[in-house]
Amino acid sequence: MRLSFPYMGPTIVYAKLFELLGHDVVMPPKPDKEIIDLGVKYSPEFACFPFKVITGIYLKLMDKNLDALVTSGGHGPCRAGYYGEVHKKILQDLGHEVEIIVIDSPHDDYKYFYEVIKRLKGDSSWLQVGRVIKIVYELTKALDEIEKKIEILRAYNDQGTINKLWMQAQEEFYQIKNTAEIKEIKNKYLNKLIKFEDSIPVEAERYKIGIIGEIYVVMEESINNQIEEKVNRFGFEVECSQYLTDWIRENAFPFLGKDLEKIEKKGEEFIEIGIGGHAQGNIGHAINFKEEGFDGIIHLKPFGCLPELVSQSVMDDLSEKYEIPVLTISIDEQTADANVLTRVEAFLDMIREKNYREVM
Amino acid sequence: MRKRKVGIPRALLYYYYFPFWLKLFSELNLEPVISDSTSRDLLNKGVKKSLSEICVPIKVMIGHVLNLDQKDVDYIFMPRFRSLKKDVVLCPKFLGLPDMIRHSLPGLKTEVITDQIDSKSDDIAQFSNHQKLAETFSIPKREMKSALKKATDFWQRYRDLLFKGYLIDDFAGIEELEILEKVITKFENDPKPPQSRDQNLEAPVNEEVVDIAVIGYVYNIFDQYINMDIINKLKEMGVRVHTFSMVAEDIIEKELSNLRKPMFWEFTNKLYGAAEHYLKNDRIDGVIHLTAFGCGPDSMLGQILEVDAKDYNKTFMTLRIDEQTGESHIITRIEAFIDLMRLKKVNN
Repeated sequence: MRLSFPYMGPTIVYAKLFELLGHDVVMPPKPDKEIIDLGVKYSPEFACFPFKVITGIYLKLMDKNLDALVTSGGHGPCRAGYYGEVHKKILQDLGHEVEIIVIDSPHDDYKYFYEVIKRLKGDSSWLQVGRVIKIVYELTKALDEIEKKIEILRAYNDQGTINKLWMQAQEEFYQIKNTAEIKEIKNKYLNKLIKFEDSIPVEAERYKIGIIGEIYVVMEESINNQIEEKVNRFGFEVECSQYLTDWIRENAFPFLGKDLEKIEKKGEEFIEIGIGGHAQGNIGHAINFKEEGFDGIIHLKPFGCLPELVSQSVMDDLSEKYEIPVLTISIDEQTADANVLTRVEAFLDMIREKNYREVM
Repeated sequence: MRKRKVGIPRALLYYYYFPFWLKLFSELNLEPVISDSTSRDLLNKGVKKSLSEICVPIKVMIGHVLNLDQKDVDYIFMPRFRSLKKDVVLCPKFLGLPDMIRHSLPGLKTEVITDQIDSKSDDIAQFSNHQKLAETFSIPKREMKSALKKATDFWQRYRDLLFKGYLIDDFAGIEELEILEKVITKFENDPKPPQSRDQNLEAPVNEEVVDIAVIGYVYNIFDQYINMDIINKLKEMGVRVHTFSMVAEDIIEKELSNLRKPMFWEFTNKLYGAAEHYLKNDRIDGVIHLTAFGCGPDSMLGQILEVDAKDYNKTFMTLRIDEQTGESHIITRIEAFIDLMRLKKVNN
């Protein structure tokens, strides 16, 4: 099948997955002003921002002769689980004939899930599918490992140099065929990064920011105004609450340990039951970041995000109780880069100042 | 001993369940105190204490909680509605509401009783849904169960009248159980049909009578302040108003079964089922989707309805209300909408 998918985070992972399964993959365009404008125009006004971005990406892909768009579903109650169904309506209404394949959890509708998987697997045998999944998982792990390094090193080194290495790594990873190559490339780049590690100061002088929030705006830098780079620019290290590896591990290989679940359980102190999205988990991560000695939290969410509005409501209380500064930023089509930069800068200044006073 | 006072906020699902709660508290020998009707002042207080970006109904709810806090009640009763059907929950903000109240209103003096409601149907009378309430007032299980039974029977009578075509508006202003009982009995024995089913209805100045389905959540269409009393305005203009609460459950279920994947939110599904039913119905002239600023589920539902209305060739309008909607704007839009439908009728 000739197919594509929404652009989010490490797109090469999805591309690789479908490519290795024998599909003709069209890389989705990276969200930019044009795509966002297009998406906003054809989406409901109060749809959440990721929905609008994805509408834009789909519309941009419409002249590529696709057979299908593949996206993830879910059982809510976060709206993201219903994107696929509404996108179908919108594309149909605009006269585009393309199928949207929604990968739902097998718990919701086992038969449908099985049909979808059978189609996506194509002519590959189940053994091959297993192999492909292994490669993709290893690839994600390697990418996340390097990215975590990057997010630390960028704080103390020339951003351009580090970013260039990161880009090169991603390009090289795109060519891999098996797990041995992944390992090779990973080690190559980890070695290249070693010489930069001298610049990391002693523990007491390191500043760390945890980024939590809705998964799409946390993972997709073209949407979140490159927030990680911005924070790095001021000499602060960054770690996100969500990486794709964790997500795949928890969902596809639950037997590999439940560290993430333990962290997310901590959120019960503020949000008693699961309310959809990652709201409860994010609260857990915020508490966890504090316990690990982070200096501040940046909470990202799309404007009007249902679960994250609940977590934002309890955030003041959390910030006070755990004595950790929190900055919440809502992201939508009107978010201006300068605005985000100013707020981040003021926030980070405040953290340094606070720390300075405490030391004195 | 004096009767202990339990405050019930007049917001969100109050409009759907208030007869149940009034009866329940009376059976338990507690005094229900209902917050004042929504007003400019009450809403402003709610707006001040909530996130600017959150939906209007939640802001209204916070206003009502603050209002009760000043009323000298012993407790505020605010259950956490989680589910009213297997595998379907309510909007995330309903699920997190008690957490939001607890952590964003630190100045609240009154204790909040929060039972979690997990039901298989709209009938919420299971004992497990009221454990905290029973604990708080040391009510024996058997007594609680019998009170719940009476409350649900009473509520069922109210539901039946809604299915018969009465509007929640016909009851919602009533705060006394005795009066409510009388009104329900009166309607049950009334030979005259409610306005929504009245075939002999006459519009002012000999205009054509039109049928409009107003699709919206109970807390949007029956809070007369927040929606500028749209229901009565429509009625005065000679409109038979139809709402989702009049559509039988099996019709809604049937419509929902046409979806590959129903939505995740109980009341959004109800609205969808009812709206599809009305869109197909030839007797309905037009559909108004009444939604509140920042409502997430409605942003999805609205899009689906808009496309479907086009397919069924039904006149459709989205009216969005927020904390500062001007009254004249609502009137202008509904007048234009009704004129359009009358023109259509005359042309046919």
